[in-house]
Amino acid sequence: MKQQKFLFIIISVLVYANSFAQKNISAVKEKHSTVRQLTIDPGIGIHSNFGTDLLISNLVQWNPKKHLSLASHSSFNINKILQRDFTGIKTNHNYSINQKFGVGTTFYSKKSSNTFLLMAGVKYTSFQETLINPDHNKVSASINSISPDYGLMYNLRKGVKKYFFSFRMYVPLYPWPVKDVNIYSVDGNMNNIALEFGVGIKIK
Amino acid sequence: MKNETVLIKKLVAITGAIMMIFLLGSCKKEVFNSGVTKEFTLQSVANGASYNIKVGQPSNYNPSAEKYATIYVLDGEEIFDFVANKCKEISENHAYKNVLVVSIGYGKDRSIDYTPTKISSITGGAPEFLSFIETQLIPKMEQDYNADTTRASRVILGHSYGGLFGGYAYCVNNKVFGNYILLSPSFWFDNLAALQMEKDNRAINKNQKQLVFMGIGEAENLGRMQAPFEAFYQTLHDNYSEIKLAKNIEKNLDHVGSRNPNIVKGLNYYFQNR
Repeated sequence: MKQQKFLFIIISVLVYANSFAQKNISAVKEKHSTVRQLTIDPGIGIHSNFGTDLLISNLVQWNPKKHLSLASHSSFNINKILQRDFTGIKTNHNYSINQKFGVGTTFYSKKSSNTFLLMAGVKYTSFQETLINPDHNKVSASINSISPDYGLMYNLRKGVKKYFFSFRMYVPLYPWPVKDVNIYSVDGNMNNIALEFGVGIKIK
Repeated sequence: MKNETVLIKKLVAITGAIMMIFLLGSCKKEVFNSGVTKEFTLQSVANGASYNIKVGQPSNYNPSAEKYATIYVLDGEEIFDFVANKCKEISENHAYKNVLVVSIGYGKDRSIDYTPTKISSITGGAPEFLSFIETQLIPKMEQDYNADTTRASRVILGHSYGGLFGGYAYCVNNKVFGNYILLSPSFWFDNLAALQMEKDNRAINKNQKQLVFMGIGEAENLGRMQAPFEAFYQTLHDNYSEIKLAKNIEKNLDHVGSRNPNIVKGLNYYFQNR
């Protein structure tokens, strides 16, 4: 069941986060090369809906304190990139733009850092389909929609130098449960879990 | 530093607990008051399949004195309880006369039963399924449950392939149902076969009185749902003079998520306009 999968993903993210809140971190040295105050993480990614969406994104993260993280995530998504021509139906365009801001915390180890953020923002979606069957009238349907975008983001950085490998996962909390608590609406969440990879840059 | 760590652990635990409460609460299965639900099995002469039928009776059900309008629900094994509860709620809140809600369970396979043309081994059984409904199920409802015998009193409610079946019934055998609730209908199926069927049968159907509600999710952007939906709606709007017609595009919800909100809107439209 999709709701069980979603529950498993949420629990996994939280347990993983919890594992970093160690009781005794005095052994961890104060001066880490994985500690970065300001970074830019461009990346590309997919959604969990069978990977038919292509995401081009950027995460700007500012750590004013070592364990306090503020972030801005921007994303341009080309949706259903492999499903543009269906029999008798053509997709004219299908894209979405996301902008979110978040707050969270970062845990550090010798060669990596792990950031957990609660994100909130907006998503703009635009798509248009047209019937192109010669036996029927040419009819177009278009959607231009703005929706809220809430969720949990996990960002892993591997590497100690100025440039580092970056991976992030975003689990939406919309439409379920914010718009509709009915579990069937979690389908919308499941189709928009984002997985992104890239190379980050330390600015400060 | 230690306090910070403990605080973070507590925040994570609280967040997890809140999420669990939401998720487990949302997973609650809807149940219709079983005291007024009857069940039986009916074997189809047309295709040999056995269908489990549930009948949700309205409160104060009095078959000896009254006849009842009937909603036939496809994918009944999934949505019967939700539909029956909503019918009860709408009729009580607005003092409308309630209806019999008939859940049609799965026979061979929904892909076979709900699709009108044979493009694979698991498609194309809609003609036989419609024949079963028309010649066996409806007569049984009229005989045993005092369902109203008029076309105007019968509703077909379907989602996805079920919506396609409802559209098929509308086009090729319009005399069975007078009311159609077609949700996220798969009108893309077999190169827009439903649109062709509408065109082929338009002359026969265009002057019939009927009520049609169409619903879809705004986020259904698979590249094959929205345009056929809009085309079918426009065709009904432009060519059928005796139709009560409405549509709803449910904001920010996709194929599965929009189903229940559109069921509610469809039922409200039916009760208010029948």
